[in-house]
Amino acid sequence: MSARDRGRAVLARLVDASIVERFVISLAALALSIVVGAVIVLVAGWSATCSAPATSFGVPLTVFGDPICYDPVGVYVTLFTGAFGNVLARPTNFNVALTLQETSLLVFTGLSVAVAFRSGLFNIGTQGQLVLGALASALTVLGVAPHVPAGIVGAAIAVPVGLLVGGLFGGLYGAIPGALKAYADANEVITTIMFNFVATNLAFVAVSEYFQASGSQVVQTEKIPAFARIQPFGFPSGSGFSLLALALGLALAVGLWLLLERTALGYDLRTTGAQPKAAEYGGVNAERTVITSMFVSGAFGGIGGAVWVLMVMGSYQIGIPSLGFDGITVSILAGNNPLGVPVAALLFGILKSGSLAVEFAGSVPHELAGVLRGLIILFVAMPEFFRLLGRRFSLGEGKPGPAAPTGGESE
Amino acid sequence: MTDRQTVRRWLSGLALALVALTVVAGLAFPDSIAGTLLSLTTSGSTVSSALRLSVPIVFAALGGIFAEKSGVINIGLEGLLIISAFVGVAVTETLGPNGTTFAVGNIWFGFFAGVLASTLLALLFAVVCIEFRADQIIAGLAVWLIALGLAPFAAKVLYGRPNTPGVGIFANWSIPVLSGTPYFGEVLFDASPTVFMMLVAVPLAWYVLNRTSFGAWVRASGENPKALDTAGVNVSRVRYTAVLLSGVLSGIGGAALTLGTGTGNFVGGATVNGRGFIAIVAYLFGNYNPFGAFGASFMFAGLNALQLRLQQAGLGVPERLIQTIPYVTVIVVLALVGRTRTPEAAGDHYESGEE
Repeated sequence: MSARDRGRAVLARLVDASIVERFVISLAALALSIVVGAVIVLVAGWSATCSAPATSFGVPLTVFGDPICYDPVGVYVTLFTGAFGNVLARPTNFNVALTLQETSLLVFTGLSVAVAFRSGLFNIGTQGQLVLGALASALTVLGVAPHVPAGIVGAAIAVPVGLLVGGLFGGLYGAIPGALKAYADANEVITTIMFNFVATNLAFVAVSEYFQASGSQVVQTEKIPAFARIQPFGFPSGSGFSLLALALGLALAVGLWLLLERTALGYDLRTTGAQPKAAEYGGVNAERTVITSMFVSGAFGGIGGAVWVLMVMGSYQIGIPSLGFDGITVSILAGNNPLGVPVAALLFGILKSGSLAVEFAGSVPHELAGVLRGLIILFVAMPEFFRLLGRRFSLGEGKPGPAAPTGGESE
Repeated sequence: MTDRQTVRRWLSGLALALVALTVVAGLAFPDSIAGTLLSLTTSGSTVSSALRLSVPIVFAALGGIFAEKSGVINIGLEGLLIISAFVGVAVTETLGPNGTTFAVGNIWFGFFAGVLASTLLALLFAVVCIEFRADQIIAGLAVWLIALGLAPFAAKVLYGRPNTPGVGIFANWSIPVLSGTPYFGEVLFDASPTVFMMLVAVPLAWYVLNRTSFGAWVRASGENPKALDTAGVNVSRVRYTAVLLSGVLSGIGGAALTLGTGTGNFVGGATVNGRGFIAIVAYLFGNYNPFGAFGASFMFAGLNALQLRLQQAGLGVPERLIQTIPYVTVIVVLALVGRTRTPEAAGDHYESGEE
């Protein structure tokens, strides 16, 4: 057994030991966020103005005679049912499509954040990498489409090219802060956030000055011909969702897991994240590992951007939603485990689609989803709280937890 | 480390040389771009607007210095700015923008409500980090994201849209006689009250940090908590105080942002727009020295003020491209300075030996 194999066995045992605990902590964090979210809904409902108070279980909600406009239980019920619509009668209805659309996009951005986290890097720049990946992909497919036969053959060429170019540009844009971190020790948290602002502005200038669709009020590129987009496989056209994209996301999740757990590169990435000094001592080229990790991370973000363009929008249009930031939550909630990412992504897909349904029903603004996102991160970041709770009520073994950063294995 | 110092010295030299070159070129050829740039940069209105724009960054940076010096990296400064910027406007709006309560302008109640909101959020961050040993970076991100979600959410609940109505801003304080002096009168002695607060806060922060026993505790808590503990000072309490102080200072910054600049309204995500993160870079660049942080913040704010002027001057460069200048500067500065020597125990939880 070589030293490397032994090290791998130790790491594997450590991961296995904490995987159940992490799962429990994620669930507990989720539950607590829902409770705190309900309190926020009550307070918001009390501040809002409405003609009649909301009713919960048939009881009108009032505080000192003031009406409370939102019913927290009802909000969560609508949130959950709204995310699926009438799923029994029509499994491919638009609510399900929106939920799964968001899920597949978040799989890409979640994986993007996760791969960086696992190598000890906080990539907050997935958003910017996604924006540039989306733009590059849109422009490439617009350029390629006239030269390929319209139809399935053209799609088989244009779509993969679009995804590859998106991944490449996202990856290169991610590699820049990686290189700055590796060679100039510039804190990647700050640089990636700054690169987000830069990417958004650059994309805006590029489209508005050079690639603006003629006759459009919005700043956007020309529409990509329908055949060169990701076909709405299994779902009605116009639903903005294709099972192909979800399948690609799941395949990449498994692929990333295999890369991290079963290859030498993955081993280097993980040890750099968990034990940077030991990794360097063991012969890992730290600089190259940091750049590689940020490239892979950015590539996932860029592919997410390409899917956004090719599956949802059909063109690059400014005002891309905060998929990259949601990827941070997804990854942290999944304990930065690639196989956990799709599950966490589904949860946020439900949150996104459901919160729109809630607002549509005339209740709480959909920005509630953003608040819940922050709360979930906060609670996942404090495992010690749940360990204390567990010990207080003597659940589990109750062993004193180490002061470990459970969200990201970074130091 | 000496390596970095050399870089910093070269960088400062280069910047000085560039400035000198622009000044000479501008004086020699007033009609050239350098001339336009020079007259824009040195005009009293640009400098006073740069001072006003630097207020939020400076206060957030001062707060960040106290927190990080004590060993708690507060990356959630942006969130603290957002929450106080919003609450400041919302409370002023609720009380009535132009009215007074107990003979004090309602805008001041809004201001202090903003500070209070930011302090409460900082308290939450402190409890999570100090009591429950959360990873400071992730908890800081959470503070940012919570504020990022909560402010537009609350705005939509109250006003039906993610922006607030404008409530107006603080009237300038004009110091008699001195405000009449040419140039300096316009820049220094006829300014928003928030600018005066900043000019007081910077030396005060330096004094507290370097000349008081509390400052010594803060520094020890970040460098060598064990020693501080041995000396009989409660490390947790020092860190709590420092993080709460960062909440108060960022709160002043955030409220000063909405109630001291523009039209006194809060616009979704666009109001704060990364100033909290720029503040972090400012204090890193200033090497945790309040005066250094002030200089760096003033530089970033100056770029922003200049950027706004350049747009008005219409040089034919796309507006959004000019807007990227401050962000790119942050990246370049950070890359050249690299990670300054952070306090030894920053980011680490400290567990006192005694239970």
